[in-house]
Amino acid sequence: MGLPIPHSKLGMWLFLATEIMFFSAFIGAYIVLRAGSPGWPTDANITHIHVWAGGLNTFVLILSSYFVVLALEGMKAENFAKARRYLCLTLLLACVFLGIKAYEYSGKFEHDILPGHIPETPRMAIDKSMREMKQVVDNRTIALANFKRPEKSEPAKTNETVELAGVTDEKTKEVIPPVEELRSKLQTELEAPDTSESRKKELVAYFALETKYRDLNKRALAESITLPEMNQELDTLKKKPAYGALLAPVHHLQPIIYGNLFASVYFLLTGFHALHVVIGMVLFVVVLIQGKRLRENWNDYVENIGLYWHFVDLVWIFLFPLIYII
Amino acid sequence: MSEQQSHSYVKYSTIFFALCICTVLSILFDFVDLRGKNLLGLNGVVLLTLVVLSIACAKALFVMIYFMHLKFEGKWKYVLLSPTIILAMGLTIAMTPDIGIHYYVNESPQIDYLEQAQQMALENESANNAEKSHVE
Repeated sequence: MGLPIPHSKLGMWLFLATEIMFFSAFIGAYIVLRAGSPGWPTDANITHIHVWAGGLNTFVLILSSYFVVLALEGMKAENFAKARRYLCLTLLLACVFLGIKAYEYSGKFEHDILPGHIPETPRMAIDKSMREMKQVVDNRTIALANFKRPEKSEPAKTNETVELAGVTDEKTKEVIPPVEELRSKLQTELEAPDTSESRKKELVAYFALETKYRDLNKRALAESITLPEMNQELDTLKKKPAYGALLAPVHHLQPIIYGNLFASVYFLLTGFHALHVVIGMVLFVVVLIQGKRLRENWNDYVENIGLYWHFVDLVWIFLFPLIYII
Repeated sequence: MSEQQSHSYVKYSTIFFALCICTVLSILFDFVDLRGKNLLGLNGVVLLTLVVLSIACAKALFVMIYFMHLKFEGKWKYVLLSPTIILAMGLTIAMTPDIGIHYYVNESPQIDYLEQAQQMALENESANNAEKSHVE
């Protein structure tokens, strides 16, 4: 009695049935959210989603699926060298897939297309650029202030605060003096006659940047600057030789309507899929480290990881048109 | 045995090529860009969605039937797979009226932003046109 298949295979199929529901919950949520959000971002120049990368990854996964089938065929024909060869190739293709995926993810990080980071209106974009610029200016203030007196005051100060407060949180607060205070110190240093030429040059550049920030921030708060104008201002600032390089963390302003929802869905779907790819790679490694000991008692195992791998391929077959094309 | 094996070997490569052709097809549809067009009385986006999703379904069936050997399995495959697929589709359909269609008036900040952006684009366009006509 019972089904005419090995228990492990039945187990794998039952697991795959739960996996179908797992992924279709996310894919279904994506389709429904997409349909209900007019103005969903689709422009490749804005979302930085490239069809060629997705298409290449589709091809890589299809090829690896084909190789898994050939490996299983090798196992059944007791040609274990062939099985090993194709399993190796599959593992390699999985690495290629993850490599392309990593390239795509790094592009998203570079353009700050991350859930919760994306401005959805011009106003939000300008606010974000001002926040980023303030961060740059503050970091520069702290860097310049520490440059002058690195270890002279800090240890003594920490000792003092430890005795005074005795709480670690307050200690760290004490070590970093307020930025405004540092700024006035830098101002007096700039005016002092004994400051060296190179140091003075740095300080002049810093204060130029700081004034520019204050000016832009004032205009942003007064809402008297538009998005293209702000982008132009930032671009010219970035080209300034004195401090342009410091402004690298300030992103080009690009508001995306529904951008945060888009980024959440993108990372959720492709992230879970990539996790499955990684697990599949572990399963391949387990059989490959058997080396020449690979015998027919591994037949069921290879068949089951084959089924799992085909399922991973199947998910990508649906993700590719849904994310990359539509 | 060996004859049967070589037979299925050829079959696998055929399936592989069919999958590749399907992938190329769906990429081609991306380049044709149906978005702006109205064909067969259907909105371009809807048509594109239908086409690429049916290609994806065809690919999925190829993989399941041949690579996953469902063609050669017993009747248990229906018992196991049909409930999950029905439930999976049911979940999506159940979410559609609330989130996908909005049977109520959809109020979200993004819709206001979209209106603003569209209005701004219109204004820019008319301003550009005015400039052009002025030049002419």
